Amino acid sequence: MDAILEARGLTKRFHGLVAVNGVSFQLRRGEILGLIGPNGAGKTTLVNMVSGTLAPTAGDLLFEGRSVRGVPAYRRAHLGIGRTFQVMKPFPGMSVLENVAVGALFGANGGERNLERARAWARACLESVGLGKRIAQRADALGGPDRKRLELARALAMKPRLLLLDEVMAGLNHVEIEEVIEDIRRVRAQGISILVIEHVMKAIKSLSDRVFVLHHGEKIVEGGTAEVLSDPRVVEAYLGRQRR
Amino acid sequence: MALLAQIVVSGVLLGGLYALMALGLALVWGVLNIVNLSHGALIMLGAYATYFLFTGAHVDPFAALPLAAAALFAAGYLIQRGILNLVIRGPMFNTLLITFGIEVILTYLAQLWFSADYRAINPRYAGSSYTFGGVTVPLVQALGFAIAIGLTAAMWLFLLHSRTGRGIRAAAQNLVAARLYGVDPKRIYALTFGLGAALAGVAGGLYGTVSQINPYIGGPLTAKSFVIAIIGGLDNPFGVVVGGLFLGIVESLTALYVGPTYRDVASFGILVLVLVARPSGLLGRTA
Repeated sequence: MDAILEARGLTKRFHGLVAVNGVSFQLRRGEILGLIGPNGAGKTTLVNMVSGTLAPTAGDLLFEGRSVRGVPAYRRAHLGIGRTFQVMKPFPGMSVLENVAVGALFGANGGERNLERARAWARACLESVGLGKRIAQRADALGGPDRKRLELARALAMKPRLLLLDEVMAGLNHVEIEEVIEDIRRVRAQGISILVIEHVMKAIKSLSDRVFVLHHGEKIVEGGTAEVLSDPRVVEAYLGRQRR
Repeated sequence: MALLAQIVVSGVLLGGLYALMALGLALVWGVLNIVNLSHGALIMLGAYATYFLFTGAHVDPFAALPLAAAALFAAGYLIQRGILNLVIRGPMFNTLLITFGIEVILTYLAQLWFSADYRAINPRYAGSSYTFGGVTVPLVQALGFAIAIGLTAAMWLFLLHSRTGRGIRAAAQNLVAARLYGVDPKRIYALTFGLGAALAGVAGGLYGTVSQINPYIGGPLTAKSFVIAIIGGLDNPFGVVVGGLFLGIVESLTALYVGPTYRDVASFGILVLVLVARPSGLLGRTA
């Protein structure tokens, strides 16, 4: 099986607290892999280790077959790992277009060095997520859903080969969720592999090829989406044990 | 009335140079969150570089400015890469202490190498001036003013429109996100500090043509740059132009109407007033 991303026993300890404990998984090329788990299960910690903002305490991480241990975050971006943030992080003083242009100028393979082409590509990315009309606004003037789209457009502008989506649906209404699901499908159609972290089960169900579940920092189940979501261990992790 | 006009014009010319002095400090402060206490010492080194190129190699002082800028850029790049990048994530107090240490080292190296003598850069045309309606404009000061404003505008265009400029702004506005979108913070920081030092180098060369230089000018110039950056705010490169011109005019008027010894009382008095009334600077957006 051709894996674009493979984790082997990834572990992160914050002093006494084990946030992620010996997690192994494979993300296949062209796949959408869902990552779910209750609050505090270690999902964002895991994504931070993949994008390079946190160094794992133990374990290894392979991107396209090569270990990226010790590779700094900006160079992982050059390799083709893009991400969005659960807590959105726009560049507040720049316009929407400029925000996305940063992704285009510094992204995969060191980015596009020609300013005009970078700007044109940034505009195309914004149009693909439906933000084409807002390119001149300041990023900090955007409302919640549009900020999510900005995050997505900025990550796409990097031309990533792997995209990490950290709760892009949180705070969106049903209509907006449908739109973002469509956006993500289009991203996958471009051949980009995706790791989706999501609490919105509808999104996980309609997007993911496979799902794995984190609970207290450990992987408890992995498999096809439907079977994982009906697994008693998953139900227990979310809802607690049923009393008899 | 003519006297007042003359004073205001002199203040404006002085203010242009002040703006250039503060530009490098404000850039480094805004992007790296380092108040570079060695900024004035870098200005001093730029002044000596220009002085020795002029007296030793007979390079015209204005032609020597790009060379001084290049030398100071290299020095600044290395200081950031080799020293400051190691402590950039530490508390601000660490970078204050380290840049203060660099200031002391540079000052006393300059005293050892260049002696404590006062020196001045005096090209042939040093005394030339033009008179318009009773107001005299010295050639050297007018050139210095034009270069200072031109460089500030160039800096602004660079930050707004170049790839590296966007990387610098991205790193300043949100470092975590900038790294994840492929911006190498260490390189961007070293480039920014190098640019700040290069601007200090040019400011130093210009300072040497309008004033006297010695190894100890750095401390007061750092303080002055600091005041200007506070007055103008860090959001916008033109803040230092507003701050510089404002300070230049106020100092000139104070020197005439109150007395030259009260100049610094006026500038630091304004600093206190600005901090009380508009903490993010005259051009800054208040929260």
